Amino acid sequence: MRTDRVSFRAGPSVDMPLIVAAVVIVTLGLVNLYSATSVYVDSAQRARLADVYVSQIYWVVVGGLLAIVVAAIDYRHFERLANFLYLGGLLSLGLVFILGSDIRGSSRWIEIGRFAFQPSEFMKIVLILMIARFVHNDTRTEPRTIGHLLPAIAIVAAPWAAVMAQPDLGTSVIYLLIAVSILSMNKVRRRSLLTMVATVAVAVPLAWKYVLRDYQKARVTSFLDPEADKTGTGWHALQSQTAIGNGQLFGEGFMQGTQNQFGFLPDQYSDFPFSVFAEDWGFVGGVCLISLYAFLSIWAIHIASEAKDRFGAAVAIGVGAMIFWHSLLNIGMAVGLLPVVGITLPLFSYGGSSIVTTLVGIGLLMNVSMRR
Amino acid sequence: MSFLLQRSDVGEFRRRYRWLVLVVLVAFMVVIGRLVQLQLIEGDVHRAQARRNIVRERYLATTRGVLRDANGRVLAANRPSYTVYVTPSKIDLETTWPKLQKLLELDQDERKKLDERLRRVRAEALAPRKPGEKERRTEQQLLLQYDVDRDVVAWLETHEPAGVEVAPTPVRYYPYGELAAHLLGYMREVDAEALARLEGRGYRAGDRIGAVGVERRWESYLRGQRGMKKILRGLRGNLSRENVEALEAKYLEEPRRIEPVPGRDISLTIDIDLIASIERAMRGQLAGAVTVIDVRTGRILAAFSKPAFDPNVVSGGAGVAAAVDAFKRLISDPLKPLLDKNISAAYPPGSTYKPFTALAGLADGLIDPDYEVDCRGGYEYGRRFFRCTGVHRHVDLHDAIVQSCNTYFYDLGARISIDRLAAIGLDYGFGIKTGIGINPEARGRMPTRAWYTRRYKEAFRGGFTLLSAIGQGASTVSVLQLALAYAAIANGGTLYQPQVVRSIETSDGTIVQEFPPRVRRMVDVDAEHLKLVQKALEGVVKDRRGTANKESLEGIEMAGKTGTAQVTHVAPRGVDPEKVWYFNRDHAWFAGFWPARAPEIAIVVLVEHGGGGGKNAVPVAMRVVRDWIKLREKRLSARATQGSP
Repeated sequence: MRTDRVSFRAGPSVDMPLIVAAVVIVTLGLVNLYSATSVYVDSAQRARLADVYVSQIYWVVVGGLLAIVVAAIDYRHFERLANFLYLGGLLSLGLVFILGSDIRGSSRWIEIGRFAFQPSEFMKIVLILMIARFVHNDTRTEPRTIGHLLPAIAIVAAPWAAVMAQPDLGTSVIYLLIAVSILSMNKVRRRSLLTMVATVAVAVPLAWKYVLRDYQKARVTSFLDPEADKTGTGWHALQSQTAIGNGQLFGEGFMQGTQNQFGFLPDQYSDFPFSVFAEDWGFVGGVCLISLYAFLSIWAIHIASEAKDRFGAAVAIGVGAMIFWHSLLNIGMAVGLLPVVGITLPLFSYGGSSIVTTLVGIGLLMNVSMRR
Repeated sequence: MSFLLQRSDVGEFRRRYRWLVLVVLVAFMVVIGRLVQLQLIEGDVHRAQARRNIVRERYLATTRGVLRDANGRVLAANRPSYTVYVTPSKIDLETTWPKLQKLLELDQDERKKLDERLRRVRAEALAPRKPGEKERRTEQQLLLQYDVDRDVVAWLETHEPAGVEVAPTPVRYYPYGELAAHLLGYMREVDAEALARLEGRGYRAGDRIGAVGVERRWESYLRGQRGMKKILRGLRGNLSRENVEALEAKYLEEPRRIEPVPGRDISLTIDIDLIASIERAMRGQLAGAVTVIDVRTGRILAAFSKPAFDPNVVSGGAGVAAAVDAFKRLISDPLKPLLDKNISAAYPPGSTYKPFTALAGLADGLIDPDYEVDCRGGYEYGRRFFRCTGVHRHVDLHDAIVQSCNTYFYDLGARISIDRLAAIGLDYGFGIKTGIGINPEARGRMPTRAWYTRRYKEAFRGGFTLLSAIGQGASTVSVLQLALAYAAIANGGTLYQPQVVRSIETSDGTIVQEFPPRVRRMVDVDAEHLKLVQKALEGVVKDRRGTANKESLEGIEMAGKTGTAQVTHVAPRGVDPEKVWYFNRDHAWFAGFWPARAPEIAIVVLVEHGGGGGKNAVPVAMRVVRDWIKLREKRLSARATQGSP
């Protein structure tokens, strides 16, 4: 049995597969970012894009160091800290509305000196810790009712509402998916489950009517009928699919994808890095990258299965869910299976907050893995 | 590690892990399935689309062929013209815009209007992006001015201010303006209907196409073929030349460039100096037409229709607004300036038709040179009295033509069948199209018994034949038909196909195709009969009693026939012709040839509502022939000096 194997462990040992997978994805991400930023543009623009590349390297270093720190501290300390982190996170989400800088009509960033960071990204980690703590402390053995899960729902609801108000549909969806993923580890009474499904079924049309902004709706409608909107959001989706299809089996080659190099991919280094990668490296490259994310997700489940307590297991599941949903939604949107929402590809997309958050998540996985 | 008690059991989770792994695998398999579809199954489609995205085909403009007259003078060419566009989002409002306003000499109104539009478009283009809106047309251009001054073009090209573009837009140029406008034609933008028809031949929206005249008929020769150049799209800023070339070599498929083929040049048969002289001779008249043809070839030497239009303006050479404005005026003008009165309109020929009636009578043996009629001012037929122009007493064929005696021809008309009259007319080319090829041709009409029955739905009356005999009634002819028929009289019975194009050349002057004269047929006529008529026509000018004698000029050996064609049935006799409403006045005709004894040219003058032919049409013909003689001598001596330097 596994339990006796754990008891023989002398001390913390490094989880090599996890590190290797993370390092490979980060490396591929940097290589891909180089391709994505070296499009055929004039020198001034090129300089700006070079900045993008260099700053990404800084963020990888920062995130890597933070991951080591996070891995070093026994994760059970985070259970106690979770409350404070949660309050701090909510506070900074509130600050966004006061200090936030408006980018494309939604305020997501807080600027401190030269740096801008997105509290909503770090909140993902805090949310994982907070829900894991709830799961950890919930020692019931009977199937849960809605009443039992109410505190967890409340935990998600606050940051979810804040992020929806920014508005940031992608992140709010991720919050829900992380929470649901962790909570799905518990048994839930069938009637309660049905009630929840029914609630969602009612809530979605209502949200469509009263909560979603026009541009968010446009993304969904243009996803359903991309031909109808050839210049707007639907156009982006089509160009992304053209890029991926253009990759064919082996790809156009590094920095040779024309859709990217000639500027037909929108936001190619944050929202559509997968399209750049699949155009440069083709089906082979795309499957490799997807396999890496699949491995990372499954490895997180493996780490959870070997965790010594519910908190550790729940944290591992949470981080795994974060990586899984992020990569699935991002790639799904790039290949045209899902509507375009601004969700990053973990460890791969450009963006300081995103990469640091994911690396901290990897640190947590490492933490749980080392202390089983 | 005792600070945290292991309070909870991980056992509850155990059963879930396998399901989670399954969810992950299935989800990613779906994504990979989609990759299979996009990259492996539809890969070629997407690659083709990706190439289409970056490759653009730019058209390379061709130059339209030049039209020249018989002496090599350019009648239609292409003038460089420049249009200035501004990009409101890029232009500098502080320096460039005021400077541009000054350079283009915009007046207060234009300045205000353009300024408002520019600022509006600029505000739209530069407005912050709305959420979700990622791209926007920020490079919208405004047309600032058409056909800009050369100085302005030079300034713009040396300074190259941001947001200002000078685009070459060649304009068809007709150096002689209104002269020969109907024959040359003009250019217009190809309309949607024509475009649908011509798309296969490389026409695009916004292309210009020959509208009437030679420009239209010879469009396919004149047009040329536009070239094509493939370029890469999406390259921005200052990529080095080598970089761009390397990329082009990689992505542009052959052929990367197809050179444009310039249109064929066309040499016409007309002499623009002769047309200019006709224009001068016709200055005293409001409306009419003059055709001069070479009786030995059937080539058109001059065709003049009045009033005319300026093909430069209607082709858009002075701007679109000016062209629209011009058309509005031209269409509503009662003198019909857009109508080619040589080819596209038919008029009653009046007495100019008498020679053909005479030839019909001679052919059928109804008259001979000695046959005489006693003219007492008219002819009684049935219950009607058909008037003559005077009391000519005893006239034979010669006198009847010289003095234009109606009575003689009424007498002949009473004895000949109208169908026979029409048949002879048809032989000379009346009532059928001449085949000149340009402009819609008026067929004219040689009425027959059947025609009258159809038309009036009552019994045919003999009086109709009498009217036809003097070129009135239902008979109509076009100026061109009359000129060709007189040429046939002059040249001994050869009916030519009229020609306006002498040869087609490449842009470097090599002749591609020549058009030798084409005989339609030999008219079925006795040479003796022709001589009689020729002599009588000479008498019209030479004889003191001749209707054209008063206005004839010394030393010009002309032959011909005057005509005064009634326009209305209400003959305004005894009324001062000057007081008759213009559109009820008679048409004045003269049709003839020169020189009378060895004819070279035939000329037909029609002065619409000009009154008497002798008084109004003959002077025009005389002056034109006088000028032609001078031109002819000049050309001959020029040719002689060229031959022996």
